Amino acid sequence: MTSVTSTAAPAPLPYTSERHLLAWQWLVEEAHLFDRQRYTDWLGLLCEDIHYQMPVRVTTAKNAGFDRLAGMSHFDEDLYSLRKRVARFETEHAWTEDPPSRLRHYVSNVRTFATDDPAELRVESYVLVFRSRGDVRESALLSAGRVDVLREAGDGGLRLADRMIEVDESVLRMQNLGIFL
Amino acid sequence: MVNLAELTRDIRSGMVPAYVYNDADLFTLERDHLFARSWVFLAHESEIPSPGDYVVRRIVDDSFIVVRDEQGVVRVLFNMCLHRGMQLCRAELGNSSHFRCPYHGWSYKNDGRLIGLPFHGDAYGGDRGLVKKEQRLLPAPAVDSYRGLVFASLDPDVVPLRDYLGDFTFYLDFYLNQSPDGIELRGPQRWRIKSNWKIGAENFCGDSYHTPQTHTSVVEVGLFAEPKANKRKEGALYFAGRGGGTTYKLPPGTFEEKLRYVGYPDEMITRMRQNWTPEQQRVVAEDGFMVSAATAFPNLSFVHNWPQINADGLIRPFISLRQWQPVSESETEVLSWYAVDANAPDYYKEESYKAYLMCFGSSGMFEQDDVENWVSITSTAKGAMARRLLLNSRMGLGLDDDVISQKPPSFSGPGRAYVGYGEHNQRSWLSLWSQHLGYSGDPAEHSPVPAGDAAGEGDR
Repeated sequence: MTSVTSTAAPAPLPYTSERHLLAWQWLVEEAHLFDRQRYTDWLGLLCEDIHYQMPVRVTTAKNAGFDRLAGMSHFDEDLYSLRKRVARFETEHAWTEDPPSRLRHYVSNVRTFATDDPAELRVESYVLVFRSRGDVRESALLSAGRVDVLREAGDGGLRLADRMIEVDESVLRMQNLGIFL
Repeated sequence: MVNLAELTRDIRSGMVPAYVYNDADLFTLERDHLFARSWVFLAHESEIPSPGDYVVRRIVDDSFIVVRDEQGVVRVLFNMCLHRGMQLCRAELGNSSHFRCPYHGWSYKNDGRLIGLPFHGDAYGGDRGLVKKEQRLLPAPAVDSYRGLVFASLDPDVVPLRDYLGDFTFYLDFYLNQSPDGIELRGPQRWRIKSNWKIGAENFCGDSYHTPQTHTSVVEVGLFAEPKANKRKEGALYFAGRGGGTTYKLPPGTFEEKLRYVGYPDEMITRMRQNWTPEQQRVVAEDGFMVSAATAFPNLSFVHNWPQINADGLIRPFISLRQWQPVSESETEVLSWYAVDANAPDYYKEESYKAYLMCFGSSGMFEQDDVENWVSITSTAKGAMARRLLLNSRMGLGLDDDVISQKPPSFSGPGRAYVGYGEHNQRSWLSLWSQHLGYSGDPAEHSPVPAGDAAGEGDR
């Protein structure tokens, strides 16, 4: 399987290439599902062996050699735990999202790389999430980079096999991660 | 300004003025009195295992470097250069033998001593103008630890930490002392919520009543079965010394069977058997209670739950420490750590970590619903009407202050315990809080604490 931490291919695929365009479209369509909170549909886009991770970023000296906490993430999910999270949102008692947030996932800076596995693409993107809750509360923003592995499925579509979310704040200014990104 | 006599009287009668959850004057009193005199948690020793390891933590506005020096001593140093007041360390963690100020280059060994002073001779005439070896970073006025938890106090005359915590240590040990090597921490996840800091602290110290409602969805999806209303009310609420907490009632069985039920493997249970006092073992084995949420006054909380972590039905418990770090009257920074017995097998540590992530922390399914509530309380408490409303926090008391709550049939721990829902613990916590705001009168003369909320020493 392609690793999200493997060194990047020398150059991304040309922005005109069909594989890049398909990956880019996949990310935009995924953002569409997120913003409409169609999370059950989103689960259908995940591989059985999905690893969905968002490490805790920390503020460290330039020469420290690390800017993530060891052994602690905001998300470190497999398909079971993602299904539970989605199932919870589907109940009538997930108060944190009732009334629901208004969400926009702005996806940009998409770069697609071929990998050693012809069935897999490595896709980098930026995502900026705008979240508004209630009528008078201040809105919240979350900025992150993502490195994904998209795998071709039997039906010709792409599925998410791995996502590493690199969040840009060490102290999140969002009341919870009752969202996906 | 706040009328502390009236506030204290109301709190002690179990009627909580709603404005206390969003009031700038009270926040100033909390900062200048409560947080200036209490023991405040800063870090766990496992976060800084090697010489030079440090984390930077705060007591309200004061930043401290918590560092293990080259001799292995944990130091708590005010994070401000002695010269022009620059914030000395601007990372939140790392490893360093010394800290150098970026402004003029004064540098300090990791035990706080000044070791580098650029142009000492040219600028100061050497020791004639400034005696270098007498200079050291300002240490925290008091530092003490309990089972690896490092606390500091801004009050040099504060009572020793063990006296401060009192009998609450009996319950802390269920989280901290499962084996001779204690716990290790991972984290913290940090995030800011528009909530007053007291709400989380109170919630964790005794609010078993919210669980069946707030956390319905978690039960519905089969993540954690215990919060069901019919089960949650069988738990005991205890308060002892400077802390209190909630428990769940376990199904009948031996000590080993009960701990297996919550998901501990046998090798860990064997160590608990060896490590816990006979009284601590009886709380589990005979009284049948397992600790869940708890708060050490003022703002350090604990949680211990046992969710299902995979599709095969595997149950694993987890422990989390969390601090409600005050930012303002309407904002709190949450620091949430995963904690685990240092001697636990590796497979257990990973499974328990997964249990933690699903339930608590920045993405936790329990935590999500809690925070939504607390943010809403804080915003609603801001206005004029909240100053006219006394929130009914009298659960467990009759109209004549008689105690309605039942004591557990048997309870082997110290302090006060009731079984079922009740707000005795929140009232005890808020009474401690009101005592720390600088009020010099003795409110007990006017309004004694209801008998059922008495501190409980010797009251089983």
